[in-house]
Amino acid sequence: MTAIVESNQTKSAPADRIRAMADPSTIVEQQHRDGAVWATATIQGVPSVLFTLDHRTRGGAMHEGNCALIVAAYQHALAHRLPIVGLWQSSGARMQDGVHSLHAVAKVFQVMILASGRVPQISVVLGPAAGGAAYGPALTDIVIMAPAARVFITGPTIIRDVTGEQIDDERLGGPGPHSNASGVTHLAADSQDHAFEQAAALVELLGAPGRCDAELAVDRPFSGLLPERSQRAYDIHPVIDRILDAPLIELQPGWARNVVTGIGRLGGGTVGVVANNPLRKGGCLDARSAEKSARFVRMCDSFGIPLVVLVDVPGYLPGVAEEWGGVVRRGAKLLHAFGEATVPRVTLILRKAYGGAYIAMNCRGLGADHVIAWPQAEVAVMGATAAVRLLHRRELAAEPDRATLEARLVEQHVRSAGGIAAAAELGVVDEIVHPDRTRHALALALAALPAARGSHGNIPL
Amino acid sequence: MAEEIRAEIVGSILEVNTREGQDLHQRQTVMVLESMKMEIPVTTEYAGRLRRLAVQEGDTVIEGDLLAIVD
Repeated sequence: MTAIVESNQTKSAPADRIRAMADPSTIVEQQHRDGAVWATATIQGVPSVLFTLDHRTRGGAMHEGNCALIVAAYQHALAHRLPIVGLWQSSGARMQDGVHSLHAVAKVFQVMILASGRVPQISVVLGPAAGGAAYGPALTDIVIMAPAARVFITGPTIIRDVTGEQIDDERLGGPGPHSNASGVTHLAADSQDHAFEQAAALVELLGAPGRCDAELAVDRPFSGLLPERSQRAYDIHPVIDRILDAPLIELQPGWARNVVTGIGRLGGGTVGVVANNPLRKGGCLDARSAEKSARFVRMCDSFGIPLVVLVDVPGYLPGVAEEWGGVVRRGAKLLHAFGEATVPRVTLILRKAYGGAYIAMNCRGLGADHVIAWPQAEVAVMGATAAVRLLHRRELAAEPDRATLEARLVEQHVRSAGGIAAAAELGVVDEIVHPDRTRHALALALAALPAARGSHGNIPL
Repeated sequence: MAEEIRAEIVGSILEVNTREGQDLHQRQTVMVLESMKMEIPVTTEYAGRLRRLAVQEGDTVIEGDLLAIVD
């Protein structure tokens, strides 16, 4: 697996890159091979393993020597249960070595796969990373791209020769397309240093998660965050940031934006947040957002990161494109991910949770540990108006003053449905909480749950 | 670099509360789309000037339709 790439722009030496990433006085270089290096160090105080190839030598091409070094780094990380950070800039498998280098690259992939879900793996892509050097990061838990990152399997030259498409390497595989179109990258940094900072922050959150201490999660007011009109959509981000101790590190913010996935702390303990975003597509679930969420849920479950799931979802997005795009297959991934998760997982229903989307968003039936709802929340098969139009369609069709009849039937429907109290009686909602008591209620729920973590890998769904 | 604001979902234009030439701040609501029985504000990613409104109230749009251009 090779690609022809332009030689790199960034000239910093491998050792400099490791120094930029880790706490400098703690770095112990363990092995060098053809310019590549792996080291142990602390990152934000968390003992970790780092490795990097040498992009200044043959474009950082992967071959037996430097691949064996990566494998050694991984074996150490696994033996000592340490997060491992890879700094990537490489043209992929070294062509001149033929199948020997393909074999070496395959062995790197194998060790990454064995490590999957056992230790957090973070990739920081600093320049071109093609072919084997694209799939390396792709197998890890989190991919961060610096502005010079260029990730693809086949590059512009080969694409032009085979398909005739003309595109430059940035538009093909830069941070922009991978943030917004492909979902390959979780974060696109503003600079190399910013990429290192983000990686370090994530190592700290995943490597030293701690535990939620409810005493530290003091209540904050939530009034004014949601619009007065219940049909008006809003951005979920301020709600998330109000719940967490500090603003979220959002993963894949530009891709499948109708769900927000990210990591932060609540009461000092790391949590993973999965939240519908009503501002995007009304907050509807669709194939892509379900897939994005599923992978994130499984990553958190692998590392024992408790989940906070914020629900305001009208349903799945209708459309032929969705059905042909496999919303049934890809949506099933989210059901499976939540159902399988043993990590503490708490749900908050803010406004509405309808139908199959209610099920998919960490409901009681899928094993949620605790379900909280705001007083005005609705849990239903569908909204009242939609339900009335379906159940009473003949009556409505025959009625000259349809609007008045519909309004009356909707009011009746809402009354007999019984609001969120009915859901509580049924047992699918554990607690009805005033918005201003949200933060503490979530923290109490999390703090009461024993730590647990899934025993599966984090396959890149 | 012009920002093209496109419909993220099928729906109809409920409300246009801005006009061409208007200066917008980041994440300002340019118009409101009605879809899935909800009123969804359409916002601009970046601050800038509203160069063009491509739709008006009452229009129906599908995913990908151009709604506005911000400079």
